[in-house]
Amino acid sequence: MRRTLLLFCLLLLLVLLWREHSRTRAPRVYTLTSGRVDMCLACHKETPGKAHARGVVGCADCHGGDPLTVEKARAHRGMVKNPADLRYADRSCGRPECHPGYPERVKKSLMATNRGIITTLRYYWGETPDFREKISVEELIKTGKDSPALDYFRKLCGTCHLWLPRGKLPGFLREKGGGCAACHLVPGKKPKAEKPSFPGLPVSAKAHPILTRKIPVRNCARCHNRSGRIALTYQGLYEDEQYGTPIRDGTFGAEELPDGRFVERIPPDVHFKAGMSCVDCHVQNETMGDGKAYAHLEESLEITCEACHEGLGRTKKGTPLPNLIVKNGKIFWQAKLTGKLLAVKRPDPVACRHPVHRRLACWACHDRRVPQCFGCHVRRNAGEKQLDKLSFRETPGLWEEFRSYMRLESPTLGFYRRRVTVLVPG
Amino acid sequence: MKYRVNPFLSWALSSAFLLAVISGILLAYPFHEKAPFVSTVGIDTVVPYGWFLRRLHYFSSWATLILLLWHAGEALWARAEERRRPLPWLALSLSLPLIFLAAFTGYVIRWDETGKLAGFIAESLSLKLPVIGPYLNALLFTVREGGIHRPYLFHFWASLVLLGLYGIWHFRARRWPAEPFLLVFAVCGALALFLPVGLHAPGPHLLVKGPWFFVGVQEALRHAPPFLAGILLPSLGPTFYFLVRVPSLRRLSLFGLILWSAGYGMLTLWGLLR
Repeated sequence: MRRTLLLFCLLLLLVLLWREHSRTRAPRVYTLTSGRVDMCLACHKETPGKAHARGVVGCADCHGGDPLTVEKARAHRGMVKNPADLRYADRSCGRPECHPGYPERVKKSLMATNRGIITTLRYYWGETPDFREKISVEELIKTGKDSPALDYFRKLCGTCHLWLPRGKLPGFLREKGGGCAACHLVPGKKPKAEKPSFPGLPVSAKAHPILTRKIPVRNCARCHNRSGRIALTYQGLYEDEQYGTPIRDGTFGAEELPDGRFVERIPPDVHFKAGMSCVDCHVQNETMGDGKAYAHLEESLEITCEACHEGLGRTKKGTPLPNLIVKNGKIFWQAKLTGKLLAVKRPDPVACRHPVHRRLACWACHDRRVPQCFGCHVRRNAGEKQLDKLSFRETPGLWEEFRSYMRLESPTLGFYRRRVTVLVPG
Repeated sequence: MKYRVNPFLSWALSSAFLLAVISGILLAYPFHEKAPFVSTVGIDTVVPYGWFLRRLHYFSSWATLILLLWHAGEALWARAEERRRPLPWLALSLSLPLIFLAAFTGYVIRWDETGKLAGFIAESLSLKLPVIGPYLNALLFTVREGGIHRPYLFHFWASLVLLGLYGIWHFRARRWPAEPFLLVFAVCGALALFLPVGLHAPGPHLLVKGPWFFVGVQEALRHAPPFLAGILLPSLGPTFYFLVRVPSLRRLSLFGLILWSAGYGMLTLWGLLR
């Protein structure tokens, strides 16, 4: 017995030598500025921007996995590619030492629930008498609830919500969704390829997206480019008829959006020209939610023109606007993306304050043209199949949209909540 | 025929303890008590053969605890208490809590999430002990103020002293056979080669389970006040074990011990499944 055991122990030592030789070893223990250990940094050289800088926030803080080992399989176990996905955001972005409470707010926001879109569809299609029905994308995903209006939503509208896993859908839809990442990511640069910090240690130096609070317009425009086409018009883009005319220099005169629609250049919004982004006006409570589950867009909107142009410094719900600066009786706005100080024009004392204009919304005069899409039709072909963007399964029924024509004209004005405002068909 | 304790398994227990102590001494070199967690990660990822030594230390300690429980049960089955005078029986009974305490402090000094929180709980519990509580805490824990200094001292020295004392007096180390040691080394070494021993990274964990033998106390603490769940409950087992030596209390103590073992086992299982 002793001999057998000795032989076995000898074999064990040989295997130990081989295992030690083939094992990945780190040159040192990597710690963050907080003192926390993050051995991912031994191999990963990616840089996710200043706020989440390497060495400050570790890889595992967001992506999970095991930060205490350099064995690839063990280190990567339980990792998530997009930690900002709303399914994980409570444990990543929303963890107590980072942004606690934010994922809960965002999950109630309209961009996550799409409650307004779903309710409006169901209301006008006669599926619910309640225009404030409590329904959300999350519920549709979890319950698989379906109806003609919901089938339409699932197949045509279901790509513009924060529950959509980023990269799950093909083509230009890959860029959509992803929870917090839907807005807060901008492309990053590939770091300089480094040599392995230790022989045998692999190096990963891919371009990591930068996490930012300076949300560029293009991030908003990924979704807000249909119906009122607000993000397109803001940038000075008009979605024209679908064949790219007029022809200039033998080619299409129009630019093309990532989804293939043609757009023409028109004068952009004055705010855009001044270097302002959507998030300059639309405060965090509007975009990320204020913790309340609103039924429709107009309930969640806070910003008013007067908040800045009258120098009020607060939204209509009382949220302060710290970027609004009043100096020597003049009003300035510090642009969120560029940091530039922009002079804010006060309303015209004659035109804007005239009693006959008291019921006019500012944009009733200042929106000189809006894109208008007339003759919207949808058709469902029961014999065909189409991808359900919530369940990611092909289900019977192919929806197609048609329109008669697009126009860029002075808008139709109408009454809404006792104010003369712009009405946009689309 | 009268039942006798299995000598091979008894020597295997001693061997596992010896292996734990030897691997522990080797691990003490790269381990720094000023940076316990960082140095533990360093042992796993940077120090040559460190990963193997740490795993060997871990599995041999596990083997020590399991074989110790087996040996303690076997000794009762063999009515070993009848062949011991009260004081030696007390010394042997004390080996149970002392070796478990040495293992517990081993978990604490890793200073990962499991160790750190186990240390905090132990410190709070020891302070609940009337009169001697603060002294016991000063001797063994004081982790909130002093980090792992005291648990480390206890872990290191108590293991060495226990091995030395019991080696000289109880299992007569001079007659140590080679086979049990080789077997324990083979089993623990094979486990160490292929089974990783993880550390618990700090984070917003809602549930952190302590070392397996402490999970019963942790679970009891959810349902009962600290003195009852953290002091009285764990000390009942060794007390019953010692009282088996008293002839008039033997049946009662054995019954209490069986009941306690079943109860503590259930609590541990409950906690582990949580």
